[in-house]
Amino acid sequence: MNKRGLELWFSRVLAMTIKELKQLLRDPALLLIIGYFFTADVYLAGSGVNLSLKNASIMVIDRDHSAASRELIHRFRQPYFDLKGETISKNQSEALLDKGQILAVLDIPEHFQSNLFQGQQVAVQFQVDSSNTVLGTLASAYATEITAGFGQDFSAKKLGLTTDQQATLPIIQNRQRVLYNPNRIDGWFMSISELLTVITILSMMLPAAAAVREKERGTIEQLAVSPLSSLQILLPKVISMGLVILLGVAVCLFLIIIPVFHLPIKGSLGLFFAVTALYVFTTSGVGLFIATISRNLGQMAMLGILLLMPILLLSGAWTPPEAMPQAMRWGMRLSPLYYFNDLSYAILFKGAGLDVLWDSLLGLFVLGMGIFNFGVWRFRRQFE
Amino acid sequence: MNLHRVWAVTYKEWREIFRDRLFFAMSFVLPVGIFLVLGFGISFDVEKITFAVLDQDGTAMSRDFLHRFMDSRYFDYKGHVQSMRELDPLLAHSDIRFAIIIPPRFQEQLLAGQATSVQSLIDGVFPYRAEVAKGYLSAIIANFNAQSLISHVVGKSGISQEQARALVSPVRLESRYLYNQALRSQWSISSGLMMLVLMVTPPFLTALGVVREKENGSIYNIYASTISRSEFILGKLLPYLLISCINILILWWLVMNVFGTPFKGDPIFYYLTSVIYVICTAGVGLVVSLLVRTQVAAIMLTIVVSFVPAILYSGLLVPIESMGTTTKLESHLFPTLYYLRIAWGSFLKGLGWTELWFDVLALLVYAIILWLVGFLNFRKRPAE
Repeated sequence: MNKRGLELWFSRVLAMTIKELKQLLRDPALLLIIGYFFTADVYLAGSGVNLSLKNASIMVIDRDHSAASRELIHRFRQPYFDLKGETISKNQSEALLDKGQILAVLDIPEHFQSNLFQGQQVAVQFQVDSSNTVLGTLASAYATEITAGFGQDFSAKKLGLTTDQQATLPIIQNRQRVLYNPNRIDGWFMSISELLTVITILSMMLPAAAAVREKERGTIEQLAVSPLSSLQILLPKVISMGLVILLGVAVCLFLIIIPVFHLPIKGSLGLFFAVTALYVFTTSGVGLFIATISRNLGQMAMLGILLLMPILLLSGAWTPPEAMPQAMRWGMRLSPLYYFNDLSYAILFKGAGLDVLWDSLLGLFVLGMGIFNFGVWRFRRQFE
Repeated sequence: MNLHRVWAVTYKEWREIFRDRLFFAMSFVLPVGIFLVLGFGISFDVEKITFAVLDQDGTAMSRDFLHRFMDSRYFDYKGHVQSMRELDPLLAHSDIRFAIIIPPRFQEQLLAGQATSVQSLIDGVFPYRAEVAKGYLSAIIANFNAQSLISHVVGKSGISQEQARALVSPVRLESRYLYNQALRSQWSISSGLMMLVLMVTPPFLTALGVVREKENGSIYNIYASTISRSEFILGKLLPYLLISCINILILWWLVMNVFGTPFKGDPIFYYLTSVIYVICTAGVGLVVSLLVRTQVAAIMLTIVVSFVPAILYSGLLVPIESMGTTTKLESHLFPTLYYLRIAWGSFLKGLGWTELWFDVLALLVYAIILWLVGFLNFRKRPAE
């Protein structure tokens, strides 16, 4: 290809890109929705959603009514638990558990205090509603910690040990340091997770919809008889939507995530944007593939959702790859979001650079090239 | 209302759906596909947490301590490292989720009856997983400490094992998990996914069904005909409702037979409320179809109002109790929350009308409002 040919090639792509952008600008409802995605949606997810146990409502059945039982009960307090009061009967507490008004019931047996002083081990019951496994697991873990702490203090007091003396016992002190997000602020994690979700949804659906719309309206016939190659038809759709998405990401980072959630960005933002661009390119390849199979937007929406749901929920943000069945873990490696997730959190939270991340990046690149070329190849075949 | 005319529209719509073979197949494949992939893939069982070890002591006791982690099904041992510096890239690349560091003189101090400390570095990017990992770590160390203390006390004061145990941990917490005894997150997830799938597919079907006619211009035939708007809406949506009502049964069968989730409630109650829920979600699609003119915008708006809330605000993945006030409010605005209570109540808790009447009422009110809004805003006049 000589220099003039190259110029012509680029000017065609540019003209088509401008056409796509104009078309997008003329659909105000769609623009509004894209704006909502990058601002309010991310804000809501980051500010309200968290996966920790806070103020879980619990009730107590105190069959002992002693100083010791009261002492234990008072340790079940905020931030984890919210003591709603006392009930007398098991039936009443079970009815409340059934309705989901309380999460757990602490059941202290009779002779709790006297048995303790006699040096017997006492069992306290804790009934947890585990229909939501996250809450069930956490509630029981915290309750165990609280009772263990109560027990230790009780024994220490009984033996007359001071805090200094406790250091002379053969025990392991548990020094835990949580890295990258020491206070475990859910907003940091959730806002980024939602941003990645938004990028995925838009970069898959927008170019695909733009391509299928041409088919449905019949304007694809005009493009097919024009001097444009199929790459020149498809690439502008990806470039224009990619530009819009990158702009959205910038807005989201600088207007929402950094000022509102105070996420300390550890790594290079330039690298993050470059990775995002590569990811948008990859995912739009998936979208274009869908576009070639479907003949109308209805089909495209269904196929898109069918692929989008597993990609979004099974790429590591909700379930860690370690916890999945082996077959699923292999499947995840085909999902571009799996690599993008790893890369984004590593760059933004951990400050990792290319030296650590080159293999994830390579994975994304190979996958992206494969998917995109497959999409273009399928598209070209439609005209033959 | 003239039933004959309703039937005519229904028949026409049915033929249109049926002739679009891919769309027709997808309307059944999509729910089942999403359901199966997510049902097997989503899991909150935090297991096989990857970790590495820096053992600066290298004695029998430190190895014994570490074996408690290696032998646990909750952890997945990835190897020893020789220095702190090697841990950073492993954590940054998510090869390991935490690291345990055993100090020098670990065994010596414990044997001498002194306290020692073990440091752990935990990847805090995913707050929930960090929290659970912390809990497991603490539990293992507490267990080790209890045993160490018991033998210390027995050796020192010559009391029996039993008495020493009662002294070291006087109170034992017995957690009883209600409704989901084994804490199998698959039971909760699979029954909860009925909510997610039935929230996602019906709105897409209905919104695209109506907007397609708008975008193609075939809606002018309706504008010009004698059919009233209520007849058109009802006739148009009936086939989609029928598809969704069949899908309820298919999904229900899968929940029970593929995931082995028990059904403890009243089947007739559950089916009826599920139909109300589907009417609700189809109503969401109807309202979306009024707000937009293009199918692309319809797809995106449906994602905003169905997909995102079903994942984030329903209580399936993120517990309602631990949400912020705004998000909590938002979660009550969507029907997903109420239906999820019905689904979990019916499957896991065996509840019926008496306990869940409020949620059914909420769904009914929701359905009526959505359909009323849809009916009132549907105009048989082209927009000015």
